[in-house]
Amino acid sequence: MVADFTQQIRDKAKELLEKGTVECVIGYETGSDGFSARPAFIYESAEVERLIFDNTCSHNLVKYLLNKKGKPTAVIVKGCDSRALNLLLSEKQIDRDNIFIIGVVCPGVVEWGWNNHSDQLQIRCNWCRQHNPVIYDFLVGEPVTEGPPDDFADIAAMETKSTEEREAFWREQAEHCVRCYACRQACPGCYCIDCFVEQLDPEWVGIRIAPEENLMWNTIRAFHLAGRCISCNECERVCPVNIPLSLLNRRMEREVLGLFDYRAGMSEDAVAPLITFMKDEKLGIGE
Amino acid sequence: MTKIIGKNELESWLSGIMKERTVFAPTRVDDLILFRPVRSANEIVFDYENTNLSPKELFFPRTETLFTAVPKDGDIELTPTIVDQEVILFGIRPCDARGIAILDGPFLDEPADSLWAQHREKTTMIGLSCTKPAPQCFCTSMGSAPNDASNVDIMLTQVEDGYAVETITEKGEKLLQGVELRESDVQPPVPTCDVNIPAEGIVEAITKMFDDPYWSRLADRCIHCNVCAYVCPTCYCFDIRDRTDKGKTERIRTWESCQSKGFTRIAGGYDPRADKGTRLRQRFCHKLLYFPQQFGALGCVGCGRCVIACPVNIDIREIISDVQKIGAEVGQGSN
Amino acid sequence: MVKEATEKAVPNPFVPYPATLKSVVDLTPDVKLFTLELDRAQDEFDYKPGQFAFVSAYGVGESPFGVTSVAYRREGLQFAVRRVGTVTNALHQLEPGAKTGVRGPFGNFFPLDDYKNKNIIIIGGGIGFAPLRPVITTILDNRDDYANVLILNGARSPSDLCFASEFDDWVKSPRTKLELTVDAGDENWNGRVALIPDVITELQPSPKDAITIICGPPIMIKFTLSRLKQLGFADEQIVTTLEGKMKCGLGKCFRCNVGEKYVCRDGPVFTFEQISNFIEQF
Repeated sequence: MVADFTQQIRDKAKELLEKGTVECVIGYETGSDGFSARPAFIYESAEVERLIFDNTCSHNLVKYLLNKKGKPTAVIVKGCDSRALNLLLSEKQIDRDNIFIIGVVCPGVVEWGWNNHSDQLQIRCNWCRQHNPVIYDFLVGEPVTEGPPDDFADIAAMETKSTEEREAFWREQAEHCVRCYACRQACPGCYCIDCFVEQLDPEWVGIRIAPEENLMWNTIRAFHLAGRCISCNECERVCPVNIPLSLLNRRMEREVLGLFDYRAGMSEDAVAPLITFMKDEKLGIGE
Repeated sequence: MTKIIGKNELESWLSGIMKERTVFAPTRVDDLILFRPVRSANEIVFDYENTNLSPKELFFPRTETLFTAVPKDGDIELTPTIVDQEVILFGIRPCDARGIAILDGPFLDEPADSLWAQHREKTTMIGLSCTKPAPQCFCTSMGSAPNDASNVDIMLTQVEDGYAVETITEKGEKLLQGVELRESDVQPPVPTCDVNIPAEGIVEAITKMFDDPYWSRLADRCIHCNVCAYVCPTCYCFDIRDRTDKGKTERIRTWESCQSKGFTRIAGGYDPRADKGTRLRQRFCHKLLYFPQQFGALGCVGCGRCVIACPVNIDIREIISDVQKIGAEVGQGSN
Repeated sequence: MVKEATEKAVPNPFVPYPATLKSVVDLTPDVKLFTLELDRAQDEFDYKPGQFAFVSAYGVGESPFGVTSVAYRREGLQFAVRRVGTVTNALHQLEPGAKTGVRGPFGNFFPLDDYKNKNIIIIGGGIGFAPLRPVITTILDNRDDYANVLILNGARSPSDLCFASEFDDWVKSPRTKLELTVDAGDENWNGRVALIPDVITELQPSPKDAITIICGPPIMIKFTLSRLKQLGFADEQIVTTLEGKMKCGLGKCFRCNVGEKYVCRDGPVFTFEQISNFIEQF
């Protein structure tokens, strides 16, 4: 069935390029190890054979649309990615008229690294309850029924540790961090022209690559994503030192869900609670 | 005759050194393998491909104070950083050792970088040659080899009942003083890395195709993080800024990468490399053109860490092939 | 790993010379002229027009500035600093007597000996005039060594013209013309209102035995260059000083390169012939 996805995507891409509906199709192709996917940018209909779709297609391609402003572009999105599309649409970062959305019912993505294949699903698939894209112009695959609501078991497990244990855990992680900002660069929610961490005046976080600053970097980023993160977990996948960023982002997600009954990226017009003021909003927590 | 040290003897020798000096060795940290100070030989991982981050950190730390500036008696007292701790770096692979040696080029070029010089002087390197290449390795195409001993002080090569020991420098000899080595007629295996990446003539090829739209197309998928530069044993671009804490100012240098947006942006906003394609091209031209032009060696040692770490599979081995191909076509067209 | 002690074998090239700020003069609403004096080792700091140095605002950082004074006059180390970023903002807060640090001199310099007996055309826009001022000072102090001198100083507005207090001295010199221009005048301005490229077209300087030294915003240079070429100037007759984001000034951090050339070491002074041969074109 997934092999069939590849053919459907190629056919659609060919049609869009030949008709001139789009200038570019952003999808996936096979990378240099011969089996892991990587993002592909197809500009000519003759090149659509490069496109593939399989269970190594974990990259969130939505972010690339920010480099294609004003240019009609098609993009392939899985369930989680499609929520990122809604996020960027609701935050007015992309123009709905300029994008053609090829949604794919996600078969799950496996744990993989370069030249390192596995059949085990990535942890994001454990908590994913959005295999079906929430926004699309063309759908590949049959919609599936989701499992029971996410119980945030990973976050609950973290909470069984004492404060001291958690502090030691995060300090150890902060020692690994090299401030490569791969997490930020891969994240569709992180698109500030000048990120807070690079501001000089005021200097919110220093350039020193050390645990104190690294912890500030990671936690403030999680706060900036609270109510906006769609849990694609690309940040954790791309981290070269395997920092479990999902523990921060999903903690925020659970809090926002509890306080505001809100999940990011479910509609084009959604308003994320922490970046919006509404006249009728709740005045006190716990009302 | 080969000099051999048994595994147990090696471990007890290292344990002895650990009592007096800091020994950095590859060690498991969660699911990573990193060079960390070790306090006992059983923390050392002997059987590994390579570390996740390169050992350039021991000479060019991710963050380092250049000097401190403290107000004193109406003046400002400047104190340059002194590196005074002796370090043994155990288990460095030949590719990484070549990376350190290559970085002597920019760092020791006049005026020499005092901190790099101090780290180099204070560090003794015990290399561990590779028994076999990993899938991402291409050291032989970039001027090194799995058993290249030229850039370490002592080289160890795994043999059946221990390690063959080669003393390369005086520093290495000094460290081995008093260590009993067996003589054996066993010949250490000669590992090979048969991958052939066409790096010969890359300087000319990349010059020819410098203005090709290839870089722009490749940069489409680059997310401009700093991963490739930070895992790389030969990347050395850095940032400098001041940090003040309780009245003491430190001028700090940290790793930075030419890939980050704003790397070349001046106050006022002008940025000559605002375009993604030019930034990506800058990385590969630095490694494959400018660095060899200035220092006579390619700025890549074939360790393959960037190939593994890049989130979007920007693969320098592929790029070298592409550059050769496009460079050759440009050559033909201009006749 | 770090112990505070005195300097060891290899001197640390990142440590500045301690210096004291002697005086601050407002040149324009956002440009101040700083005169510094090194606290020690003054003779080590010998520099020529075109070279630059880093000035420190401890706690914030340091930035590179073209040295705008001339060493031989021994009137102090001068920098024209435009307030445009965090370091320059911090420098603008300094008062005379403040302690600072200077690192340098770095870079190459204008080969003024090669320009002897030639007609010199100096074109500066805004703060770009700062590295040109020591060229003018040297030429006018050695007036007989050079033929005609044309100075074109332009700015956004009259109050943005740099070194206005020296204009009278310049025009007193024989065979020396000073042309001023602004993008927009004010109620007291009776002078020319025109963009620098248009002034070049108006003045029609001859390329015969001439050297043009130009410095200013990239856009100004681009258009002025094309007007000069139209008048017959060859690339090797036009010299400029490039700007680049710099951190180390030592050719180590690899931030200021244009292709294989380091602005901090191979430059900042380049002819346009050299620039046209750079593999990387900005």
